[in-house]
Amino acid sequence: MSKTLITLLVIIAVAFAYIISVYNRLIRFIEEINNNKRQIDIQLDRRYKVFESLINVVKNYMDYEKTTLKDVVALRNQAQQAVASGDEQARMAAENGISKIANGINVVFEQYPDLKANQNALQLQEEIVSTENKLAYAKQALNDSIEKYNAEKKSFFQAMVVSLFAGKLDKQFDYWQLSDQDISAKESYTVKL
Amino acid sequence: MDSAATSSMDWRGQLRRNERRTRIVMVMFVVIYLGLGFLFDVTINAQPSMGSTAVPDLSQVAIALLTFHLIPYVTLITGTVAIFSLWITFHFHRQLVMLGTTYKQVLPTSTVLEEKQLYNVVEEMKVAAGLRFMPEVYIIEADYMNAFASGYSERSALVAITRGLLTKLDRSELQAVMAHELSHVRHQDIKLTLVATLLANFSLIVIDLLFYTIFMGKKRDVRVEIVIILLRYILPLITIILLLYLSRTREYMADAGCVELMRDNGPLGRALLKIDGDHTANRESYAKAYANQGHEALRTTAYLYDPSLAGISAGSGLTSLFSTHPSIKSRLAALGYNTTKNG
Repeated sequence: MSKTLITLLVIIAVAFAYIISVYNRLIRFIEEINNNKRQIDIQLDRRYKVFESLINVVKNYMDYEKTTLKDVVALRNQAQQAVASGDEQARMAAENGISKIANGINVVFEQYPDLKANQNALQLQEEIVSTENKLAYAKQALNDSIEKYNAEKKSFFQAMVVSLFAGKLDKQFDYWQLSDQDISAKESYTVKL
Repeated sequence: MDSAATSSMDWRGQLRRNERRTRIVMVMFVVIYLGLGFLFDVTINAQPSMGSTAVPDLSQVAIALLTFHLIPYVTLITGTVAIFSLWITFHFHRQLVMLGTTYKQVLPTSTVLEEKQLYNVVEEMKVAAGLRFMPEVYIIEADYMNAFASGYSERSALVAITRGLLTKLDRSELQAVMAHELSHVRHQDIKLTLVATLLANFSLIVIDLLFYTIFMGKKRDVRVEIVIILLRYILPLITIILLLYLSRTREYMADAGCVELMRDNGPLGRALLKIDGDHTANRESYAKAYANQGHEALRTTAYLYDPSLAGISAGSGLTSLFSTHPSIKSRLAALGYNTTKNG
């Protein structure tokens, strides 16, 4: 066998091994993103349950709960409909709406000394803080995994492998983020004293 | 070396290194034991046999032992001990690292607000780190402020925190400490630290046992006695080699991992300063508390904060000579935490 033939075979083998490794890595990244999305779903579901029990405790202290409960239920329905229709943007908007109510409840807490002394309510408040944190960290994990995937996908050489298997490797994932009008509203916000 | 170490943030590389080093440590442990056993065998067999004064040739004896013409009893025994030690560390690592402490497991069903908060904080960091398994959470009943993570894998991981740390830190500082510990879990530092410390300490226990049994026993050859006396002082040094495999950068890596998870260096910086200040302020009482707690050497290398930094020597003096913890000052510098702004 001639030397050139051997060299050629070696190069082909190396290229083949490289393509396989890129392919497997990207598939792993995609599955990680999918898993992180499920994680957010789990946290959202948990949060809804915590909210229900919190509002039940708060109910005994004030009228605040009636409209709040309605709001939460309405936003929850919106989110679920958005999931069913596959509209990620609408869903994020609805879930972010619930987060705002969570902050509102914590402010209300501070105004009622009785409530602050209630052990049950304190634990629920801790639950709310923790659930909101978990949700935020789950979103962070999702965004990180999307970033990792996108960077790999768009890198030189890897991009060529992706174009070979576009159907399997080229996916579009939305970062979990606020809508544009939400961002501009937050930017123009000033504290009124 | 310290500043160079912090420039690398590649924890996947760290993970592979830790895997490899864990295997090296385990193999070295078995090799050290087999080597020691063989040394014994050669010494014992090289003694002049009954009635004759001729001393057998050492290399001949060694070859005879290697080819099983003479049965290397001691080598077989030490080999079995080594394998048995490995088995014990795998199966009882949880009990072993907690040895000497009074501890309590925190369950998700806990109704005590403080404990529930601790569990929540660990769970939050677990979500952020994308770990698949929730580590077990323990509280150690002690006044000093410290924490550590241990275990063989994500699945069997545990994080432990002292009561003092739990009460003296606020929620975000607690979160930073837990993020640091979970980074150890994520980088697989826990496995290497566990194997190295447990095996190193096992050797010390075994050689002590040998030392005392030999001198309790009846008449013995002087050469055997000399070997054992030498071993008693050399073996600890050899097993320290196992500890040298512990990465000097793992604390920096875990600190960096904490910031990666929390996106904030403030809480960890404050927590480290608090822990350091607390140890310095209560040096005497904490020194006593650490000393009264048995088997501290099993945990020293795993601790978030090495008490010897505050002038408290915990565990055996030998292992603290080889402290693998950087100073708080260099850790804060690596974190980019401004100490002048915030006390």
